[in-house]
Amino acid sequence: MNASRLPMMARDRWLLRACIGLPLAALVLFFGLPMLSIAWRSLQQDSGGIGLGNYLALLDAPGVWHAAFNSTWLGLVTTALTVLLGFVLAYGLERTQMAGKRFVAVGMALPMLAPSLVLGLGLIFLLGRNGLVGKLLGVRMDVYGFWGLLLADILYALPQAVLIIRAALRHGDVRQYDAAEVLGATPWRQFIDITLPNARYGLLSAAFVVFTITITDFGNAVVIGGNFPVLATEIYNQVSGQMRFGMGAVVGILLLAPAAVSIWIEHVATRRQARMSGESAQPPHPQHHLARDLGFAFACGAIALGIYAVVLTVVAGSFVRLWPYKFEFTLKHFNITLSDGYAPLWNSVYVSLMAALFGTLMLFMLAFAVRKFPGRLAQLASLLSALPVGVPGLVLGLAYVFTFNSASMPWGALYGTAALLALCNYYHYHTQGYVAMMTGMRNVPTNLEDATSVLGGGTARILRDVYWPAIQTTLLSVGVFLFMRSMVTLSAIIFLITPAVSLSAVSVMRLDEAGFTSQAAAFSTCIMALVGTLTLVLHVLTAGTRTARH
Amino acid sequence: MSLKIEALHKHFAGVAALDNIELQVGASEFVCLLGPSGCGKTTLLRIIAGLLAADSGRIVLGEQDLATRPARERGFGIVFQSYSLFPHMTVAQNVGYGLTIRRTPAAEAQQRITQLLQTVKLAGFEQRYPAQLSGGQQQRVAIARALAVNPALLLLDEPLSALDARVRADLRLELREVQRQLGIPTLMVTHDQEEAMSMADRIVCMNQGRIEQVGSPQDLYLRPRTRFVANFMGHSNLMSREQVQAHWPQLLAHAPTGFDTASLALCVRPERLRLKADSGAAGRVGQIIFLGSIQRIAVHWMGQQLLAETSSATPFAPGDAVQVDVAPQDCAWVAA
Repeated sequence: MNASRLPMMARDRWLLRACIGLPLAALVLFFGLPMLSIAWRSLQQDSGGIGLGNYLALLDAPGVWHAAFNSTWLGLVTTALTVLLGFVLAYGLERTQMAGKRFVAVGMALPMLAPSLVLGLGLIFLLGRNGLVGKLLGVRMDVYGFWGLLLADILYALPQAVLIIRAALRHGDVRQYDAAEVLGATPWRQFIDITLPNARYGLLSAAFVVFTITITDFGNAVVIGGNFPVLATEIYNQVSGQMRFGMGAVVGILLLAPAAVSIWIEHVATRRQARMSGESAQPPHPQHHLARDLGFAFACGAIALGIYAVVLTVVAGSFVRLWPYKFEFTLKHFNITLSDGYAPLWNSVYVSLMAALFGTLMLFMLAFAVRKFPGRLAQLASLLSALPVGVPGLVLGLAYVFTFNSASMPWGALYGTAALLALCNYYHYHTQGYVAMMTGMRNVPTNLEDATSVLGGGTARILRDVYWPAIQTTLLSVGVFLFMRSMVTLSAIIFLITPAVSLSAVSVMRLDEAGFTSQAAAFSTCIMALVGTLTLVLHVLTAGTRTARH
Repeated sequence: MSLKIEALHKHFAGVAALDNIELQVGASEFVCLLGPSGCGKTTLLRIIAGLLAADSGRIVLGEQDLATRPARERGFGIVFQSYSLFPHMTVAQNVGYGLTIRRTPAAEAQQRITQLLQTVKLAGFEQRYPAQLSGGQQQRVAIARALAVNPALLLLDEPLSALDARVRADLRLELREVQRQLGIPTLMVTHDQEEAMSMADRIVCMNQGRIEQVGSPQDLYLRPRTRFVANFMGHSNLMSREQVQAHWPQLLAHAPTGFDTASLALCVRPERLRLKADSGAAGRVGQIIFLGSIQRIAVHWMGQQLLAETSSATPFAPGDAVQVDVAPQDCAWVAA
């Protein structure tokens, strides 16, 4: 469609141009440019000149190879176990009438409220040398290393795997099961012949997502990895410790590969899924089945209980004098001894608010413009918007360092500011926000928009009377999503913080590194309380608007 | 005011969606754009509304060229298949929306809303919300909303297609009645030939982006000019010129001249075929479909399958031998 020919008032036309132009320019500057920078940096040899020197040097870096091998092995085991457990949980939630679905669902949300390293912290409190379990059993346990990291990563990745597999299971069509039933298939046959094939792309996609976040997760590796070096810590040491930027860039580029595969699979999966389930597919409604429901309630309950135990242990640990020996109530751990105290927490709130407001605005403008005028620019915007999800936070953070830690370029002025942290956090989660926004846009009735135009309404009126009522919930949830992720993410911003502007997840890491585990727990508790409260408020708010409209 | 469309073209990705459209809508005329889905009728409506840009061509309302006039300044009314009401506004607010935009004084707007709701038989529904109304009622509100601003042209995009058969039939009559009262030029898009025939002053039959034929409902039904129109406007029996020459040579006297005779075909509507039971005749009755007041009869005749319609009171049974006949005034010659 040739939008420029459509008769329009000059004001409306400029508004639309701004809607596509601003977000697109920002996307190029704060995502495209950093990605090009890291690619370029990986070709700049430490000895000077442009070439594959850094890539060749990698062949001669046994430390990196060792870490890469560890990461891959850890990733594979984590993926296998997480997808298995995730399927059990997702199946229990979607396809059974088990008791305690709410308990399980809330359990799955818990790890989202905290930086990933909180899980490692909780595991140390439970299973570490000075852990609760060791003390009760009277044995000296050692959780640091492979096993601890495996457990922490499973707990960290599980909610995301469950989310993806649940979505796949939701796509079923009850009539396929009815047909199989009438043809005489047993429940087990139906599971093998219908459920599994329909969920296979979901499972595959979940597997790649889990693998990617496992090999790129930074927080747990620092807290509980012990002497088990992995790629994420290795890359941090290469860059922050030894200032070997070229090597960092190379590893960063290589880390894009598994993520790219996972995005591609997801892409194929959604296309297939769309083809398989027609518009009229009726999702299956599970019937009561005592033995099955009990079995799943038990299994899912146990897994969820594990998550509750780990997270709540951190909260409990922050309130007692000396875990696990003196269980007297105390608030002394909340007296943070780091020089900047709670300042990073408020920085986090400030940065997260910026990321949420700016991100929501940009995403809305972009989605609005793409919907209004699907043209070449809109295609470019959609394409670019699909990419950030494939870039692990670690790589994005590195890319930002290469781009903005520069005195010669004008954008170098942003380095070390809260604004840059906010931008990094927003673009880290840009894709998820964009997808949510486009999905929300589908609720905006096209015909009503046209009718308003014909009745004489301009863009402002259309936005107020057509868009706002239909999309306010989406705006709110996108904003809160960006805020929450920004509050707890660590892997991207670990490269960007400066002594002047630090963030809360970094404080937790520093406290833990310094041996103040109880204070780390206390700081984590504060973060969780803040993010958790906000989530609850949002839940109540959106529930309010949903019921008010009927 | 009348609407005039000249040499309108529109392509989508290289495919012609509208090909040289010429059309006029008179000052208080009800015109239907009729055609199968994908024929370009909705595209044409959207271009007229100003919601889509044409590649070339002119649209003139009265004396004014609409080329540079945005949709919001054309002063039209539009009604869609999906009722498209503001879900968070009352019926009165919905109907008065265009008036609010035009800053009509409250008292005057109030009066207009009441009057329009009476016209569409929804008096007393002012404070309801769309979700509390049935489909038919919602569509009445949408119609009232479109009429509230005294539109220079009323555009209807399959306005009745989402409704139940019964409601649809009622609303057809009402819509036509309101349009006649107010004398607003109206353009309605539909794929339902029965709807078009029962409502329109003139029907514009479209196919693959082109206008096949324009005329009164009677014109299109009884005197289709193309095979497409003959087939789209109800059932028809088509016979090649050779077949006519062989079996009904007397009809050839009425065949138009100046056409490529090879492409010429005779079109006879099923109810115009005359069947007479005659044990020696060449026609054989095949399947009979009983439709209440009438029956539809398949007849095998001279190596071809014909469709006839008679009153269901006439006794026929499968296998009966029948004579098949047609009067010259009951058939039309179609080209292409």
